[in-house]
Amino acid sequence: MPNKPRLILGIFNRERFLSNSKQIIIGIIALVVFVAVWWEVSLTLKLSYVPAPDAVSNAFFTSFGKVEMSLGTTMWGNIAASLQRFAIGFIFAFIIALPLGLLMGFFRIADSFFKPIVEIFRPMPPIAWVPVFLLIFGLFWGPVMVIFLGVLFPLLSNVIFGVKSVDAPLIDAARTMGANRFALFTKVVMPYTIPYIMTGITIGLGIGWMCIVAAEMIGAVGGGVGYYISYMSQIGRYDFMFAGMVVIAILGIVTVGASRFVEKRLNRRMGIK
Amino acid sequence: MTLTIEHLVKEFPKEKEMLLAIDDFNLEVKEREFVCILGPSGCGKTTLLRIIAGLETKTSGSMRLDGREIAGPGRDRGMVFQEFALFPWRTVRKNVEFGLEIRRIPTAERTKTAEEFINLVGLKGFENSYPYQLSGGMKQRVGIARALANNPEVLLMDEPFGALDAQTRNMMQKELLRIWQQTKKTVIFITHSVDEACYLADRIVVMTTRPGTVKEIFTIDLPRPRDRVSVEFANLRKKVLAELERETIVNTVAAP
Repeated sequence: MPNKPRLILGIFNRERFLSNSKQIIIGIIALVVFVAVWWEVSLTLKLSYVPAPDAVSNAFFTSFGKVEMSLGTTMWGNIAASLQRFAIGFIFAFIIALPLGLLMGFFRIADSFFKPIVEIFRPMPPIAWVPVFLLIFGLFWGPVMVIFLGVLFPLLSNVIFGVKSVDAPLIDAARTMGANRFALFTKVVMPYTIPYIMTGITIGLGIGWMCIVAAEMIGAVGGGVGYYISYMSQIGRYDFMFAGMVVIAILGIVTVGASRFVEKRLNRRMGIK
Repeated sequence: MTLTIEHLVKEFPKEKEMLLAIDDFNLEVKEREFVCILGPSGCGKTTLLRIIAGLETKTSGSMRLDGREIAGPGRDRGMVFQEFALFPWRTVRKNVEFGLEIRRIPTAERTKTAEEFINLVGLKGFENSYPYQLSGGMKQRVGIARALANNPEVLLMDEPFGALDAQTRNMMQKELLRIWQQTKKTVIFITHSVDEACYLADRIVVMTTRPGTVKEIFTIDLPRPRDRVSVEFANLRKKVLAELERETIVNTVAAP
């Protein structure tokens, strides 16, 4: 049955197209309703910290062109600063989580050793570390470390889960072809884990953006979108504050979307639906 | 090549006691022979095959390949799995090359050998396909090519066509006989289908229900390709089926 729709390709695609466009139309309606309600609320309340959509949109476009004197950069500069921290924290988390997860999934001794430590730190919200990290690591590495922690655990859990989910027949097949433990690890376990790593990356990205903004709001050096938001709030430019929030939303949507796209393609190749 | 199994016993720990899965199993398989092991489900036939493959350990008895006691997996015994067990991230070619890669055979030779066996199983043109792009029958062709590319002495097949539909299954049986005749390998084939065993085997070993042991061995001298609707084939089926059914019924009645 699952192959059947392919035989009637034309009709199948048309139906799918109709249902897709229906979804998109409903989505657009929802967005329009949301903006309308927001507009109405801001006009009714007449509060400076609930700016209308047009004010936010103006601020949004202005922010990319205008150099903010006290920050010494445009929104582009802030995005670059945030992305840089984000990337560094993320890469460090990846470098640690990948081998550690593979070891913990494959060797029981490694699991017994690291598990208690991991379990202590996992439930702590990364943001709770912000004050400590700012003191220990300073205004640049502090926020980076917060991202590192935020991304580390979802990635680690997914790698371990991936290693433990390896199909037993694949291990059997490799063994009957003469694979030793090392070959099992490098040629079966590691490739098998890749889609799980990708899922970890997608989840990590989402959490990472929450962490960086929170960290930058408390303190950062060299700007950053989170820092921009908190600065604009302090000087009472709430339209620009909201524009910063929109930027974070876009960054999150783009990165998580890209990661999810890669994840889907990988899953397809790996035969996972 | 001779595989000799003598007084093989396999016990599994189950809760506090030991469960006897295979008891005093004896069999000798000769070079180029096609042996089907037939038995009711749960009789330990898969366990037996896994012990031959070296994936499980035996409790006692002996199992020798050309006089050498089997200890652990080895490339002299290739295995084909019911669930295909193909590596989903590898193309057909890369799957078939797996064993050669493990043995560090040079790339050029690897590619040549893989090509040879891909052609043998009739998958020319699908070298660069991924398993998810193949049908069940094609997947198992890859499974067979992969096991053979490693040049084993015995091909162990664990209900290899069990996951296929009836029509594909019949075709794959025919294909397997062709491949077997071309490669001249010894085959030990596990199945619970009487029809399949009668169509394929030189000898059919009927196993008892647990604890599994040899109940009866049928030697089949019908020429190949066998005609499934001939009188001789029907008579053979009847004989084997009667033996298998007696076993199943006796134990169903005896069980509380």
